[in-house]
Amino acid sequence: MEVDRELVEAAQAGDRWALEELVRRTHRSVYTCALRLVGNPDDAADVTQDVYLRVVRKLGGFRHEASFSTWLNRVTTNVAMSTLKRRTRRFAVEGAAVPADTPDPAPDPAERAEAVALARRLELLVAGLPEGQRQVLVLRDVYGQSTEEVANAMGLTPGAVKVRLFRARERLKAELEATEGGQVVALAGRRRATGRRS
Amino acid sequence: MTSCHNIRPLLPARAEELTLFEVRARAEHVAECARCATEAAAYSRLGQALAVMANLEVDPADGTLERVLVAIGRRRTGVTDPRLLAAAGASGALVATVVVARAVRSRRRSRRRPTSGPWRRLRLPNLPVPAPALARAK
Repeated sequence: MEVDRELVEAAQAGDRWALEELVRRTHRSVYTCALRLVGNPDDAADVTQDVYLRVVRKLGGFRHEASFSTWLNRVTTNVAMSTLKRRTRRFAVEGAAVPADTPDPAPDPAERAEAVALARRLELLVAGLPEGQRQVLVLRDVYGQSTEEVANAMGLTPGAVKVRLFRARERLKAELEATEGGQVVALAGRRRATGRRS
Repeated sequence: MTSCHNIRPLLPARAEELTLFEVRARAEHVAECARCATEAAAYSRLGQALAVMANLEVDPADGTLERVLVAIGRRRTGVTDPRLLAAAGASGALVATVVVARAVRSRRRSRRRPTSGPWRRLRLPNLPVPAPALARAK
């Protein structure tokens, strides 16, 4: 999700077109994050709308200390967690994640293709994790929030976050190896072999 | 060397989630244990793939974007600076106070007037008053 600072500043100054363009550029990312956290498409759409209503209210207070996408992710996390506290969860995996094509920072095209393919398979496995484990894993490992940030967002202690994170990673790796025939291990082995050659 | 049993709980963790002692113990063990090295590498790749997921996006259902745009169009004020919003809010409160005060004052005044009441509003035309019959007989 790339957002120009100029676009954000124009939206902050009250430019209607800039605000709408900001929504157009970021809504898929916000929806994806919301879907990963709340676990179903209907709630994710509601969260997406609530996120932008909050963005409209709070955008004036955004001081560019962090990147806009980081700030938006935090807003999304807070709105999603508030939504989950209000509602009982209806269902989990249905409708989850059919990722579109996206860029990937891996330099080697073959590695990049493998990583994207693996990430797509992971998307479904992540959606199938228990809710608490999934949320911790998504916030920490997908969106890179710190353990303390995750604990604050979820109302947990950092220790509880670490326990859930450990279980989620362990379970995810086991499920991935079971469904893909140990592809993660194979990739790791291939990477190590490549590293030794170079 | 630390045993596999002690190191296994550390394998899924990122380095920044461990103490320096744990990081060192894991590194030393993994350097000499092929099985744990394979596990550690698998977790490392898993972590990289999860980080890639941040760049993958899911298409929302049709109409989601339009719904959001309509919602923010209703809510949007055009002014997002909190200082301006605070000034606007204070001005609005002042105007509201003045309006309410004037309304209360005019209501008090209208209560003091005895002429209020629907029957008082009717004005009779200026008709000649008929003389009493006794006066006419005189």
